[in-house]
Amino acid sequence: MTNHWIDLKNSDAIFIIGCNPAENHPISFKWIEQAVDNGANLIVADPRYTRSASKADIYAQLRPGTDIAFLGGLINYALQNNLIHAEYVREYTNAAFIVNEKYDFQDGLFCSFDDQEKSYDLKSWAYAVDGAGNPRRDMSLKDPRCVYQLLKKHYSRYNVDTVCNITGTPKEAYLKVAKAFCATGRPDKAGTILYAMGITQSTHGTQNVRAVAMLQMLLGNIGIAGGGVNALRGESNVQGSSDYGLLFHLLPGYLKSPEFDNVDLKAYNEKWTPKTKDPKSANWWGNTPKYVTSLLKAWYGDHATKENDFCYSYLPKRMGSYAYGKIMEKMGKGELEGLVCMGMNPAMGGPDSGKAREALGKLKWLVTVDLWETETSIFWKRPGVNPKDIQTEVFMLPAASSVEKEGSISNSGRWAQWRYKAVEPVGQSMSDLWIIDQFYKRIKALYVKDKGAFPEPITRLSWNYGEGHEPEVHLVAQEINGHFTRDMTIVDKDKTLEFKKGDPVPMFKYLQDDGSTTSGCWIYTGSYTKEGNQMARRDQSDPTGLGLFPKWAWCWPVNRRIIYNRASVNPAGEPFNPKRPVIAWDGLEKKWKGDVPDGPWPPMKDDKEGKYPFIMLAEGHARLYALDMKDGPFPEHYEPMESPTRNLLSKVQNNPAVAVPKNVSSDLAKFPFIGTTYRMTEHWQAGAMTRSLPWLAELVPDMFVEISESLAKQKGLKKGDKVRVVTERGSIEAVTLVTSRLKPFNVGGTMVEQVGMPWHFGYAGLATGDSANMLTPTVGCANTSIPEFKAFLCNIEKGGNKG
Amino acid sequence: MSTTSIDFNKTRTFLIDTTKCTGCRGCQVACKQWNQLKAENTHFFSGEGYQNPPAMSEYTFTRIKFKDYQKNGQNEFAFYKEMCMHCNDPACASVCPVGAFRKTAEGPVIYDDKRCIGCRFCMMACPFGVPKYEWSKAFPLVKKCTGCYSRVKNGKEPACATACPTAISYGPRAEMVKEAEKRLKAKPERYFPAIYGKEEAGGTSVLYLTHQPLDELGFKPITKRPLPSYTWQALRFVPGIFLGVGGTLSLVSWFQHRKDRIRKEEEERAAAKADSTKGVNE
Amino acid sequence: MTAAARIVMNEIKGYHNFIKLMMVLVGIGALASLVRFIFGLGVTTNLNDTYPWGLWISFDVVTAVPLAAGAFTIGIVAHVFHIRKLEPLVRPAIVTGFLGYSLVCVGLLLDLGQPQRGINVLRYWNLHSPMFEVSMCVMAYTTVLTLEFLHPVAERFGWHLPLRLLRTLELPFAILAAMISTLHQSTLGTFFLIAVDKLHSLWYNPLLPLQFWLSAIFTGLSIVIFEASLVHKYMGQPDESELLATLTKIIPWIMGVYLCIKLYALAFLTHGPLFDRPVLLALFLAEIGAGVILPMGMFFTRKIKTDKKMQLRAASLVIFGLVLNRFNVSMFGMEQPGQLIYAPSIIESLVTIGIIAAHVLFFVLIAKYFPIFEHHPEATDYTIPDHFHRIEGHESKAGHELRAEG
Ligand SMILES: Nc1nc2c(c(=O)[nH]1)N[C@H]1C(S)=C(S)[C@@H](COP(=O)(O)OP(=O)(O)OC[C@H]3O[C@@H](n4cnc5c(=O)[nH]c(N)nc54)[C@H](O)[C@@H]3O)O[C@H]1N2
Ligand SMILES: Nc1nc2c(c(=O)[nH]1)N[C@H]1C(S)=C(S)[C@@H](COP(=O)(O)OP(=O)(O)OC[C@H]3O[C@@H](n4cnc5c(=O)[nH]c(N)nc54)[C@H](O)[C@@H]3O)O[C@H]1N2
Ligand code: SF4
Ligand code: SF4
Ligand code: SF4
Ligand code: SF4
Ligand code: SF4
Ligand SMILES: [Mo]
Repeated sequence: MTNHWIDLKNSDAIFIIGCNPAENHPISFKWIEQAVDNGANLIVADPRYTRSASKADIYAQLRPGTDIAFLGGLINYALQNNLIHAEYVREYTNAAFIVNEKYDFQDGLFCSFDDQEKSYDLKSWAYAVDGAGNPRRDMSLKDPRCVYQLLKKHYSRYNVDTVCNITGTPKEAYLKVAKAFCATGRPDKAGTILYAMGITQSTHGTQNVRAVAMLQMLLGNIGIAGGGVNALRGESNVQGSSDYGLLFHLLPGYLKSPEFDNVDLKAYNEKWTPKTKDPKSANWWGNTPKYVTSLLKAWYGDHATKENDFCYSYLPKRMGSYAYGKIMEKMGKGELEGLVCMGMNPAMGGPDSGKAREALGKLKWLVTVDLWETETSIFWKRPGVNPKDIQTEVFMLPAASSVEKEGSISNSGRWAQWRYKAVEPVGQSMSDLWIIDQFYKRIKALYVKDKGAFPEPITRLSWNYGEGHEPEVHLVAQEINGHFTRDMTIVDKDKTLEFKKGDPVPMFKYLQDDGSTTSGCWIYTGSYTKEGNQMARRDQSDPTGLGLFPKWAWCWPVNRRIIYNRASVNPAGEPFNPKRPVIAWDGLEKKWKGDVPDGPWPPMKDDKEGKYPFIMLAEGHARLYALDMKDGPFPEHYEPMESPTRNLLSKVQNNPAVAVPKNVSSDLAKFPFIGTTYRMTEHWQAGAMTRSLPWLAELVPDMFVEISESLAKQKGLKKGDKVRVVTERGSIEAVTLVTSRLKPFNVGGTMVEQVGMPWHFGYAGLATGDSANMLTPTVGCANTSIPEFKAFLCNIEKGGNKG
Repeated sequence: MSTTSIDFNKTRTFLIDTTKCTGCRGCQVACKQWNQLKAENTHFFSGEGYQNPPAMSEYTFTRIKFKDYQKNGQNEFAFYKEMCMHCNDPACASVCPVGAFRKTAEGPVIYDDKRCIGCRFCMMACPFGVPKYEWSKAFPLVKKCTGCYSRVKNGKEPACATACPTAISYGPRAEMVKEAEKRLKAKPERYFPAIYGKEEAGGTSVLYLTHQPLDELGFKPITKRPLPSYTWQALRFVPGIFLGVGGTLSLVSWFQHRKDRIRKEEEERAAAKADSTKGVNE
Repeated sequence: MTAAARIVMNEIKGYHNFIKLMMVLVGIGALASLVRFIFGLGVTTNLNDTYPWGLWISFDVVTAVPLAAGAFTIGIVAHVFHIRKLEPLVRPAIVTGFLGYSLVCVGLLLDLGQPQRGINVLRYWNLHSPMFEVSMCVMAYTTVLTLEFLHPVAERFGWHLPLRLLRTLELPFAILAAMISTLHQSTLGTFFLIAVDKLHSLWYNPLLPLQFWLSAIFTGLSIVIFEASLVHKYMGQPDESELLATLTKIIPWIMGVYLCIKLYALAFLTHGPLFDRPVLLALFLAEIGAGVILPMGMFFTRKIKTDKKMQLRAASLVIFGLVLNRFNVSMFGMEQPGQLIYAPSIIESLVTIGIIAAHVLFFVLIAKYFPIFEHHPEATDYTIPDHFHRIEGHESKAGHELRAEG
């Protein structure tokens, strides 16, 4: 989230697209309802009429996988009707930037596409630069090669009729959405977009998100109170796990993990440190070397010296994809010996789980670290297999739950909140920290004893988390914050600051690239300071009245509650909306008031020191036109991999940057209906945590499918009937729920039915049922590989598995 | 058991704004958790939408009812929380022969299970069908929402109200009524113009605001008079009738016996006369 | 087998098959009750949260109480109004009442979820509860009936002093019985006044208690007729139809008043729709037509004074009307549209059958061993003899044998 949960109350229009917060983030509605009380419009666009939709002022149905068409239409509507926030767009986005001559877009394809490699040459999309090497701009936005004009042209194809033909949205509903949301283009209005898996789980998921962001840029909604691009994160600490580098291509703090050709620290820094010649661009990622060095210092301590490149060589270098899908593919081929599954359930969570379950059987050993016996830990005795046929040795390590241990949890709003242990762990279960600590200590002992090819990356780790039985979680938190490795004097503008060796680093701007500081995750520097554990703060004061609560917990970066907040003021530093100022420049005191600003510099207008607001980008301007997306600088509508229609907008059917896998089929004779999967309030994810709890199993005891009244009629089904749902990958049994909340889509004149199902059921736990992921295809987003769980083709037949 | 000493402006009251209810059922689970109630063995869904369990019961003190229908081509997906209404003048309390139910000054109508003889009159009497019975037990007791009296008494809100992200406000009745009226006035297009529970059954400590007409959502039309007054209008005559019947019958019998006595006396006199005449004759 | 038991067995062997059948039914009922106590209400009955009250309340309590009203009504007529010639009808009625109320108590205890706590009614008073009132009344009245029932017992065993005392108390008891009965007979109607939004308008009106009371009175008297006729017919007891003729003169007037009040209430005191539920309407018409208007018409004829058959028929119809009325009020009329229909479980039915059988059985047995019918007070010697002996010549043969051999 650029903003945070409480900030939702400041909004004038809340646009929920591709998420269902009433069901999956129920507490969010506390703030959404407050906004509605204050007169906000609540808009929901979803294939199904959900519990969120039931609270909406405007509901628009859209076909799964057509969000770019939907959002592109809104972009077009805002541009055509001049509803954009002109000053914002001109000053703060790259609308005025001129694109090089090579760039082109023809009938669904951008320039420089390599059909063999299924990839674009991203360099061909670069800005045109001036003599000094800075991007050229036309502040009048008239140049036909400027982003603004290209954008306008690109989305002029997304007129309301075309869009509604693609999305199946009733035209009146679509126009209502357009009118209501684009009205927030006014400087004194704030609109927020909430999204999650309905947007991301797609072969063009990242472009969906970009479309969201672009609409918000055009309406001037980023950086302001009640605005923002707000991803409602999923797992309770998934924000924290991403922050701390859980993804294969990232190190903690969103530093890139080294690639095979980043042979040394210099090469790494060269590759990953963006540069700019524009003095007004803060280009914050320019600090990359400081953060990497501090990270290496945190990991290897005194072993990490300037001379040995701070042990950079100990880091693994990647080549190609290590995404979930790839791992499964390799596992299926028997290329993996063992798997440690810590808090995840791959027999359930991934697509085509029939394949995944088979793949688990190719492992020599499997370790599951979980609260429960999961489908993964009992995959060897799942229905339909003979345990004798499976040789995998399975170890189940019982893990303590979140209330049985102390630590921080980062929520979607980037707030790290400290939690205390409420009860002792049940039975023999242990905290994950203890388990990892034991893993490390034992593996290290083995390496010390047996040496091996390259033991140092393990044996030299600085691993100082106390001597007790249970590692000291506060020491972990302190390591993440970072400290000075020697006495330091730092001059910051007019202040001179003295630090002793071992003092916590108060802010990441004091991190150094010479080894004098450590930081386990630079964005968290400041979370555990001399003043103590900032994440444990519980002060309920709210000086701005915007619900920022600056002394409640701690929020990265630097406790900034709304990021990009320099875009909430005009170039002179005056809030666009004086009624809801996030920050404001006090010309007399020469400082910002309100939230922690995106950098201390004076407003952009200040010729000497002023900076552009989008400090994380080298050009300092928000990107309406992207330079680093694998599938195009502008989001373009493509059909999902399995689709009931040809692409009505261009000749290119699917995202060209995604390879078409084998087991997909768009044979409408066999699979005439759109299948989609989702969650519901009553169950959690793969179900281990809820299907084992009687109070929740009671609420939703059975695997079910939701179908429309017309499909029920067509198939002779009524509520409670057992059915079989079939796709190219597999078939499952479920109970039918007939409801008017699901309706067929009008796709270019023909009606296409949808079949909706929760993906929470499996064979472990109290309430069991068939898994929706037996049906889903292994195909994912061009940029992130997140699977296309939301749009596939299926058939439905009366009678259960036996029938 | 007179409730007149209770100031109904102050009794703690739920304001359940169903237009804000997301049907998350946090309240339903929080109630089970706080009261440590057993989960029911359910199958599929027991009504419209995702409704479960099928009804309130000895194990389920509160439940979200789902309404999943279409009206003028528009979907309606409505949710409302069923629970004890904590009537100002509760029918359950008035009919209980042993006074096991009691309206507290704090608001909740509570049950003293040590008194209960198990006649189940409370179940018959409650206009909202709230009290449920432990049919599973050999010596069953009545079960219903306690209004979380133990929490309320100690200055806390009920478990369900605490869990609810949106729909439940909890506070003194007068304030809740005022708040409800304020909402009706501020957003007439959002609400059906009625506060269910303001007057129903003489007023309750649970108030509802809805979007759809009450009957469409399954809210029962309930008399506005406190229910106990219906029985009391008869019962208040009890002492009078008792003494009246006694008195009248005593009078009648005195009169009838007197007639009898007089007749007897006359007979005797006549007999005596006859005797004496006889004797004279003899 | 002890000697006493053998005597009892021999005695039983001599009984009529009908009595044996009753004994079997009572035995089955007792077993069923045992099952109910062991396994609980939920398992053994078809009661549930929709039907917290079923057959046992509707029949064993709500219906049985007015059916046992003969005792107090005939008491009023005979003792209070001092129509002495009717005194022979009093004892059978009291026995019926005594049995009826005892069995109501049994029924209540069976139905209570916590019967062991029944005493709580005496500990915690809730004056606002009709149930409290009825419980107190039933307890009090059962006590009164027990005392009244002691009368033939004392006479049977020749206990002169209690007999004398009881004779003196006859009138006060009759008045007390009337007072108590008025209260609880009417209060059974008050029960359902709380069901203002549940009970259908065909029955719900504020005069329900008055209607319950009046119908209890004329049914009580009809029961006396019914019983006397049957006893005459099947137990060879003297024909009392002449006495009954007096009752037939009283009954229709009370029925008339009842009908007027009912119609008045329907016309002026009812709020909801009356004709929206065809099945209920049919039940209502059956109750009023066959159960009130028809027998009332019969009672108003001259012929009924002498026609024994007609007396029995008319009385039967009244009883039918009352039973239907009580079921209509306590069960059928409460059913909400679309609700599942309740039917009693086997256990519930067996218990109720057992209770009815017990009533018949005990009545017959009591009549067999105690001076119930042959009681003609004008012939009884209530003085206390000098030697405190039993009253000679008032022993039945069977009683004599029992004592002799016991
Ligand atoms: N109770 C509960 N809460 C949860 C979870 C849970 O399992 N249970 N999981 C957590 C996790 S890990 C996550 S990631 C989040 C996910 O939260 P959400 O994203 O809200 O979860 P979903 O239900 O998968 O999808 C949201 C909605 O997207 C709609 N949808 C499907 N296809 C499309 C499409 O093509 N376009 C658009 N616009 N919408 C589409 C679906 O109908 C659905 O209503 O929830 C978190 N919260
Ligand atoms: N069809 C379909 N499939 C989907 C999705 C979809 O929308 N549709 N959504 C996808 C999404 S967004 C996600 S995030 C994935 C999730 O997929 P998974 O992560 O595989 O599923 P979870 O059930 O969340 O697994 C988390 C496990 O962690 C355990 N756990 C909980 N707390 C702890 C702890 O403190 N320590 C340890 N060691 N374990 C703990 C839980 O018991 C649970 O078994 O599924 C994906 N799969
Ligand atoms: S489950 Fe937890 S994180 Fe999710 S909405 Fe509820 S309270 Fe918030
Ligand atoms: S709703 Fe029913 S149980 Fe609750 S207080 Fe009122 S009468 Fe009693
Ligand atoms: S069942 Fe218990 S609480 Fe209910 S009325 Fe009877 S005695 Fe009172
Ligand atoms: S007040 Fe307490 S007992 Fe009643 S529904 Fe709420 S949580 Fe349950
Ligand atoms: S917790 Fe609140 S919002 Fe959720 S179902 Fe209950 S009343 Fe509705
Ligand atoms: Mo997720």
